[in-house]
Amino acid sequence: MFDFTQLTQSLVTGIGVGLIYGLVGIGYCVIYNASGIVNFAQGVFVMLGGMFCHTAMTQLGVPLILAAIIAVPLVAIVGIVIDYLVVRPMWNRNATLFAIILATLAAQIMIERITILTLGDQPRTIPDFTAGGPLKIGGIAIGYQLFWILGCGAVMVAALWLFFARTTTGQALRACAQNREAAALLGIPVRRMLMISFALSAALGAVAGILVTPTQYTAFNVGTPFGVNGFIAAIIGGFGHAGGALAGGLLLGIAQAVAIVVFGAGFKNVVALSLLLLVLLVFPSGLFGSTDPDKGA
Amino acid sequence: MALLSITDVTVRFGGLVANNAITLAVPEGSLFAVIGPNGAGKTTLFNVVSGAFPPTEGKISFAGDDITGKPQAAIAARGLIRTYQLVQLFKDLSVSENVQVGAHRVTRGGVFAALLRPGWARTQETAVRDEAERLLDFVGLGGRGDLQADQLPYGQQRLLEVARAMAAKPRIILLDEPAAGLNTQETQALADVIRRIHATGVTVLLIEHDMSLVMQVAQRIAVLDFGRKIAEGTPDEVRKHPAVLEAYLGGTEHSLV
Amino acid sequence: MTSPDTTSTKAARTLPAVLRGMTLETALPALAAALLLIYALLSSGYLVTVLGFAMIYAVFCLGLNFFMGYTGQASFGQNAFAALGGYGTAILTADYGWEPLVALPVTMAFSGLVAAIVGYPTLRLRGHTLAMATFALGLITYELSIELTGLTQGYMGFSGIPPLGIGHFKLATEKQQLIALVAIVLLGAWISARLRQSRFGRALRAIAGSEKAASALSVDVARYKLAAFVVAALYASAAGSLFAHFVGFISPEVFGASMVVLPFTMLYLGGIGTTWGPVIGAIIVSLLPEALRSLGLKEMQDIVYSFLLIAMLIYAPRGLAILPGLLRRSAAPEKKAD
Repeated sequence: MFDFTQLTQSLVTGIGVGLIYGLVGIGYCVIYNASGIVNFAQGVFVMLGGMFCHTAMTQLGVPLILAAIIAVPLVAIVGIVIDYLVVRPMWNRNATLFAIILATLAAQIMIERITILTLGDQPRTIPDFTAGGPLKIGGIAIGYQLFWILGCGAVMVAALWLFFARTTTGQALRACAQNREAAALLGIPVRRMLMISFALSAALGAVAGILVTPTQYTAFNVGTPFGVNGFIAAIIGGFGHAGGALAGGLLLGIAQAVAIVVFGAGFKNVVALSLLLLVLLVFPSGLFGSTDPDKGA
Repeated sequence: MALLSITDVTVRFGGLVANNAITLAVPEGSLFAVIGPNGAGKTTLFNVVSGAFPPTEGKISFAGDDITGKPQAAIAARGLIRTYQLVQLFKDLSVSENVQVGAHRVTRGGVFAALLRPGWARTQETAVRDEAERLLDFVGLGGRGDLQADQLPYGQQRLLEVARAMAAKPRIILLDEPAAGLNTQETQALADVIRRIHATGVTVLLIEHDMSLVMQVAQRIAVLDFGRKIAEGTPDEVRKHPAVLEAYLGGTEHSLV
Repeated sequence: MTSPDTTSTKAARTLPAVLRGMTLETALPALAAALLLIYALLSSGYLVTVLGFAMIYAVFCLGLNFFMGYTGQASFGQNAFAALGGYGTAILTADYGWEPLVALPVTMAFSGLVAAIVGYPTLRLRGHTLAMATFALGLITYELSIELTGLTQGYMGFSGIPPLGIGHFKLATEKQQLIALVAIVLLGAWISARLRQSRFGRALRAIAGSEKAASALSVDVARYKLAAFVVAALYASAAGSLFAHFVGFISPEVFGASMVVLPFTMLYLGGIGTTWGPVIGAIIVSLLPEALRSLGLKEMQDIVYSFLLIAMLIYAPRGLAILPGLLRRSAAPEKKAD
């Protein structure tokens, strides 16, 4: 018999986590739209966001907000470095999609290992943004951090929407997504757009990482589950559709929440992965997408 | 008896009608050409005939069997072999191996034959290799079997593709713009090969843009324009057909040879 | 990667397929490997262990090469079948007392069946969706091996796996096991070469060249891709089982993400699509930690592997083994648009 309170509690957490997945998923979409590349190193930006923030707070002794402001651009720089050192040379040599994906995967592993060497392998956490006990509504505890996730998440999505709709750079990125060759012919610097998309995607991941760390912890290997789940969110949403990725993330968070209650916490990843396989095999263009995610095979 | 019957085939891509109620009958043993300006729907027709995708409406039958909408490999297995406008070579295989792949249809043997190499499989392999050499000679690429396929110049890659298609011992061979990208000499060599293929009894269906090639080799020509068949007949009949002249001279740079 | 058909003389044709697959570039490293093996057998213990792992990974890579190199498809999930093989043999031999030599083919058959079932829908995908779907397979087996503790002993790992052997004759020492492993690798390479040099192998390589054209020549592309996928899974499963017998202990980590990147590094180093490339790559990459250790860089292992792989992917996307071939073939410009 299901415990309704437990289910609702789980759902509350699930929505928060789902939003994080959505943010990571949007990160995938941004790079994919600009270039057709799937950046398998996406998860590592989430990890670095939390790690850099924590390091700034402990090593530099700055308050959380300042640490966050320092961390996010730093992670964006890591994204640019990956673009410049790994993706760009392959792009210039017309490497296959598979080779680029594999290279980003290798880059993720490399960054994880470097993190162990430099920052150690101990998990750590950053404090909740607002101190204080969780809000209790009828037996269900809602941590303040969830509101921060929802709030910041909403702000990020709105800011992204504005960026893509109103700014020249944003519109140029959308042009690249529609038709790269035409965009290039119009004088849009496609390579620079690629770099911007990596920076943006990394920043998104970093913010997501900073938001989620207080609710759990951060360590060198937290990137992979977020990377995978973010990818699942993007796939569900129809890879390339930012709004879809967000919806996909929420769907995934909810599905996992239900799975935890029904099957137990250990099976949440199996459920997520099975959902991924199901979507890939039955709805290859995602539940919301009309774009073909298989372009550029 | 028509070997290949295309009846009322219409192909729509969303709002675009690429083929509009096309009816064609290719007699067995003939050398049939389909011509028309760019965008007339010729390659689309080949695609539905060879099974790349099904037509929106209409029926295609080959050797008396309905092949409409059947998968490409299944249609090829019946002896309808096509080539592509942009040469699709197996780059990592040698010239000879490319042709040997063509023999897939007329040979058998899977994993177990590969591992255990029973007598019939070994005999078959030798036969396939010998036949590949013979076909390379036939198209004029004799002695080049050991080269890597992408080392051949473009004109010879074309010939390789034809040799490869012949290895499948087709009943009908569909050539999609085989003269595309060839110079005059190469086109002549190709015309010669096509004639020789036809002489062995294989039915040839050809899409072409190059009027000199078509007028030289074709026995019967169908003309497409904007997805419709506007004329059909012998080369002489087509050359004088008013609708054809209208389509070709009214706006394109081609003149009929 | 040179075609085995480079000489059409009768003498060359009578050579066994395996030797015909060798050119100077591969014969030299193979010779070096053979010498290394002899040295290891005659001397110290640790090298034996390293080469043992190299052989196990060589089997894995032979399978991966079969799928990737011959059909041009990507699979990021071969470790899933290694997990099935490893845990399968562990359970059958340690829990149920089966003979290792019986458990091995049985688990292989099981893995092959799973591969056929999973591969049928999955191989319809292309590009990054295929990559992710296959990656998900490995992640799923990882999670399941942690969760199904009743079967797999979970996170702590499964110990007490008996070594390879027949009846009472168990391969007690590592050196004996190494010899058996080398024999298995040679068998695996022989099978791979045989399959390559056949109507079946040609069809696969044609699919790698152009699926359209292969299908237009009556090759049933979906069926062949599935066959190659199953073959790769059989090899991976065998590698997993061999690992279990060699070490006597397995855990979910063994078949985790490092078993995704490492084999690719080996494959790219040795040369994709060649017969001996996977073996040579496996040996070289397995020896790397030793080289690193002598330089005092042991912790940097994964970093070095990743760096190597990235460098190879950028500068030598078909693998290093083809470089000599490229230098020789200066006649025609090598337009290797991969």
